[in-house]
Amino acid sequence: MAGAITARAPISIGSKRAVATESVLARRVLITITVVFLTIFVLVPLINVFNQAFSKGFEGYWSVFFPPQPPDDATLTFSQKRRLAEGAAQAARTWSSIGLTVAVAAVVLPLNIIFGLAAAWATTKFNFRGRALLTALIDLPFSVSPVVAGLVFVLLLGRNGILGPWATQLVWPDPFSLHWVGFENGVWPLAFGRTHTGVIFTPLAIVLATIFVTFPFVARSLTPLMENQGTDEELAALSLGASGWRTFFKITLPNVKWALLYGVILCLARAFGEFGAVSVVSGHIDVNDTMPLRIEKLWNEYNNQAAFTVASVLAFVAVITLVAKSVVEWKAARDAERTN
Amino acid sequence: MTIEVKNISKSYGASPVLRNIDLKINSGELVSLLGPSGSGKTTLLRIIAGIEEADRGSGAVVFDGEDVSDVDLGRRGIGFVFQSYALFKHLSVFENIAFGLRAKPRRNRPTEAQIKEKVQSLLELIQLSSFAQRYPSQLSGGQRQRVALARALAVEPRVLLLDEPFGALDATVRRELRSWLRHLHDTIHVTTIFVTHDQEEALEVSDRVAVMGNGRIEQFASPQEVYENPANEFVFKFLGNYNVFHGRSGAGALVRPHDIAIFRTSDGDRPDAAQTAVVAHIGFGGPVVKIELESDDKNRVDVELTAQAYHDLKLQRGEKVWFAARRAHSDFPPEYAI
Repeated sequence: MAGAITARAPISIGSKRAVATESVLARRVLITITVVFLTIFVLVPLINVFNQAFSKGFEGYWSVFFPPQPPDDATLTFSQKRRLAEGAAQAARTWSSIGLTVAVAAVVLPLNIIFGLAAAWATTKFNFRGRALLTALIDLPFSVSPVVAGLVFVLLLGRNGILGPWATQLVWPDPFSLHWVGFENGVWPLAFGRTHTGVIFTPLAIVLATIFVTFPFVARSLTPLMENQGTDEELAALSLGASGWRTFFKITLPNVKWALLYGVILCLARAFGEFGAVSVVSGHIDVNDTMPLRIEKLWNEYNNQAAFTVASVLAFVAVITLVAKSVVEWKAARDAERTN
Repeated sequence: MTIEVKNISKSYGASPVLRNIDLKINSGELVSLLGPSGSGKTTLLRIIAGIEEADRGSGAVVFDGEDVSDVDLGRRGIGFVFQSYALFKHLSVFENIAFGLRAKPRRNRPTEAQIKEKVQSLLELIQLSSFAQRYPSQLSGGQRQRVALARALAVEPRVLLLDEPFGALDATVRRELRSWLRHLHDTIHVTTIFVTHDQEEALEVSDRVAVMGNGRIEQFASPQEVYENPANEFVFKFLGNYNVFHGRSGAGALVRPHDIAIFRTSDGDRPDAAQTAVVAHIGFGGPVVKIELESDDKNRVDVELTAQAYHDLKLQRGEKVWFAARRAHSDFPPEYAI
């Protein structure tokens, strides 16, 4: 029997069986190294985030978002009043940072989906001069430091920038101030309640910087799949008389839905967490704080527990992202298996 | 519907793929474009379909007298079947076939009941009635190809274009689908063009065969005509195996293996031109037995005998026999003549 097994061994090299024939020692060492590494660099810091966040108990955690309100009939000393007012102001800034982070993501994500689909489509389904260059450019944000990216925007759109004279005068409406005004002013019943002037040191700059660091994600997760699928299904749909839109929504989109969702998850995670590029263009003004910027400010104010509390929200989002990513990967693999 | 291809050329960059192609296909005909890979057959089919465009300034594609060169793929009234099937993976067999009907503009879109009826009748035609709710991944290769055909037929195309429709299937299924396609064509009579590199398939199924080589149509005639009277050496060589005999004049004669007769030394009716050889190998191929002879000048000669003829001869390996060509092709015009 033993002889038969040894004789088989060389045949199975390169297959899955080869893994099992590695020495037990090597396997244990490799697994140990991986586990130790992940513990030191991922697990311990993650636990520490939550540990620090809850260092003043659950109440301390809660009060970062909802500062304690004294009963109406309480008589307070001046310093107590001051501390309450301070806590309320801090909580308001934290909420503002959460709101801005979500708002920026809400603006960036649809743009990235459109851009990612267009870029992946262009680079995989058409053959044209400069295609390789375009593919390389899509990857550029991965290799450029986010701080440099932020600086580029400042140098381009800031007061002394090339587009400065135009950008500093630019008046743009706040899309989240859109509200119903009725038909008194004509057929268009919606109006903007707020406008901003300028680009750099406004939320618009944060949107631009976030787009720069996140746009490769959707395109990159779609490209390999679209390349693999080729154009036959689209051509078949077109030959059956379907319009371009119908072909896109009924054929192309369903074929790439999991990859698209995967890209969206990665894009969202990065949009929530981006610090460098956003920090440069925000001008360190409180109203321009996103969550990572808010964490830095709390930390610099020696408010460690509050800083870790906000960080724990981001960490929680990261964990959810990880789970969602795994689910999508599993679904995509199952679909791929089913369609082959 | 008649299809005319008038003086079509196509090149990718500097390399020409099609050179001044002219082709006229009659209404209801089943024509195959036969050629080795790189002969331009698929490109020609895709230009007829409107998937690819011919070179600017070259000729036209004409359907029933109407120039469709600038008409979109979706408006040419073609049904295209891809080698990869290109079935919509996320849609059921029913929805795949119904796709073209549902994609019609609202004013001439059939009702849901009409769609159901049409799809049912197509499912019967392809003998997959009980598979309506399956997904393409749950079908075999041959079934997928039939669904692809039904999907193309659903919109009642004026012409059916098939790109290597059976290329990805195994030999048995190929043969079955081949005769099924022939019968289908006899029932619905839609003008059909199909691309193949398989000589047997093209000769068996088509009304006429366009043999293509190097971006040109070398011969366009009935299967029997192209096989028995090949227009040139390329067509002859592409359509089957052959032996080359060099005569004293230096000109080579080309002989098909089945056009060689084998005689025993004792046979009285052996022609004077017969040469001697030794049986080097005997290969059984079912109805055809392939004999390899080694002639006196050490050349290999391939011979194909019917199983019956082989049994009558009772050949043995190593035996000395006589052989002679019954029919030789030697009068081809020189290649690449201008």
